Amino acid sequence: MPTLTFPLSRIEGHARVVIDVHGDEVVSAHLEATEIRGFEYIVLGVPAEQIAVIVPRICGVCSTAHHVASVKALEDAFGIAPPPLALRVRELLLLGQLIQNQATSLFIFTLPDRLNSASIFDLEAAACPQVAEGTLTLRALQVRRAGTDLITLAGGQFIHPIKAVIGGVTGGVAIEAAQAMDRKLAEALPLARELFDCYWQASFALRERIGTWGDDAPTYYLAASGDTRPNYDGNEIRVLGPDGALRDSFPPHQYQAHLGFEQVDYSYAGHSNYRGEPMRANSLARINMARQMGTPLADDYLARFRAAFGQPAHPILLYDLCRGIELVYALERAREILAQPLEGEEVQVPYTPRDGEGFGLVEAPRGPLIHHYRIENGLIAQARFVIPTVHNTLAIERALRVAAQRYITGERIDMELERAVGRVVRAFDPCIACATH
Amino acid sequence: MLRFAVLQLSGCAGCEVALLNAEAWAHRHHLVYMPLVISAYEMAPVDMLLVSGGVRTDEDLHNLRRAVRRAGQVVAVGTCAISGGVPSLGDRDDVRALFLAQAERRRVPRLLPRCHPIDAVVEVDRYLPGCPPTPELFLAALGEEPDFQPGKVVCQECGRKKLKDMRPRHLIGFQQGQVKLGICLINQGYLCIGSSTRGGCRALCTRPGHPCVGCRGPSDALIEKHPDAWLESIKRVFASMTDIPADELEAALHSPHLALFLFQFADYATGRQPRPKEKVL
Repeated sequence: MPTLTFPLSRIEGHARVVIDVHGDEVVSAHLEATEIRGFEYIVLGVPAEQIAVIVPRICGVCSTAHHVASVKALEDAFGIAPPPLALRVRELLLLGQLIQNQATSLFIFTLPDRLNSASIFDLEAAACPQVAEGTLTLRALQVRRAGTDLITLAGGQFIHPIKAVIGGVTGGVAIEAAQAMDRKLAEALPLARELFDCYWQASFALRERIGTWGDDAPTYYLAASGDTRPNYDGNEIRVLGPDGALRDSFPPHQYQAHLGFEQVDYSYAGHSNYRGEPMRANSLARINMARQMGTPLADDYLARFRAAFGQPAHPILLYDLCRGIELVYALERAREILAQPLEGEEVQVPYTPRDGEGFGLVEAPRGPLIHHYRIENGLIAQARFVIPTVHNTLAIERALRVAAQRYITGERIDMELERAVGRVVRAFDPCIACATH
Repeated sequence: MLRFAVLQLSGCAGCEVALLNAEAWAHRHHLVYMPLVISAYEMAPVDMLLVSGGVRTDEDLHNLRRAVRRAGQVVAVGTCAISGGVPSLGDRDDVRALFLAQAERRRVPRLLPRCHPIDAVVEVDRYLPGCPPTPELFLAALGEEPDFQPGKVVCQECGRKKLKDMRPRHLIGFQQGQVKLGICLINQGYLCIGSSTRGGCRALCTRPGHPCVGCRGPSDALIEKHPDAWLESIKRVFASMTDIPADELEAALHSPHLALFLFQFADYATGRQPRPKEKVL
């Protein structure tokens, strides 16, 4: 019984895929996370009020989501709500995170799969007809940079931000700074569209070459984003059935009653499930739930997507296209917010620390993220991090099994399998540092 | 043109993300290995190897030893690689046993009993501290910023004014109270340690109003001394600028929960030799 091991690259963190084959049958396909630091233990005994400085270090890619989720959990525990201006600044933070993440996933992680190269630093000069020759790498980095600059503006620094605090944010955004940021986003938007148009076309070419958008069967979808338009600062998780009908919705403090969780022996990350079934979070789940994006260009892309793939859409390579729609949305939406007043109002409400339990939910780029703390004597007595990648693990493994079956027959293993493994995993954009924490 | 590689051990990838933001190197140097952004099975020989993350698993140990054999200069990047960083808080005696007991797995790389800085295992030529180091610091390490002049301490880069007549009587929590613009955070009662933390970060936490938590480690004046010298220096600053009782400050500095020394715990816990300042950027 051969065992095939595929090391993974162009994903965040350390993991590999291990596929066991018996004859022409794929017995199992596992995503093995091979690192762990133990953040649920690291934070034990830490003063609760300091948690927002420590937990961003769970992940340098997703630090903004952890920063905001931790602050929301403490606000829940202390029974306070931040003022409207603080919410606008936090939305900017989460949009910056989305721009950074979707640009990284699209152009650095998965575009090389579509252009047959090992990395974005190693592309053929004329790889993309939509983008001026030789400029693709720098343009992709510039779009990504627009997101990190936005996080710096709203969060103080773009990795491990510090400006969200319990009760609000440390400060607003001065009008000159907001205008300068708006100019950067206005420059990045056409670049993002060019790159996404290139990506869109290269994805259709890939579909022609391999003959599928992904074969796996439909399943449940999980997101904390709004239903009328996206909202990444959500307060409720919703679940769609495979048919696209709303099956469930619940606030973060009820997560244990709705989501199962299991540890496994082959990975430092476990996997969660919805009533025992695999589920999918991340961009495809949000797009399947959205009625509209609510910004003009993103709505154009959404219409194009719906015309091609319908609603709900299931093939997993569509995750990547959904990221492009969200990238355009986040750039447009951030400009809308930057045009509103972002200073001169209250940015913070006072609070009195108290012991108890708190839950903080955000829709991170990879799906619903919950921070759950129990506080005793002002110190963290228990911490649980409910991680989007862990919601996706069962779905990743099922999709890997289906992909492997496509390329493994009794006589041979098609070498395309290795590329397929990379494409399947990257479609879900897993974050292993978060998943294991 | 420099051929360089990035080896990520157990960490958060924040250092790698910061490097990506320093995109000026993209057309000037040749990045040959960095699994986050490049698919390659092996690391080809390089002039410079940047290592981020701590040595947490037996696989980290193996990968690190293998990679340094193919590298000219070895640079430890970020607090995890240099001094354990936040993850080494898991090495506190009271939580270590709990963590290791639940982390036992059969088929994945084994956890070492502790998380180690990389110079516990290999010779390091240069240190680039920060959590993470800023893009500007990365460019300086790559030799792209010949005029790079860091401040000696974070205070020098902060720009907040120190006031003689504003003397707090008690510390206020990191998250409490409205931070006043333009005034030193110590004057406002925050436990800010920018007065002795090495500069070069451009004070990116304190300027928007968050106290310095010391991620760049001690300044040149303190880096070759016993770790206690850093604590003493902070106490002197607070004694001269505030009326906060010594025992209150002492308790905050030595809090068992490491309210302050988030990033240097491994150094304090294991009593390591100080690093020579000429090696630290």
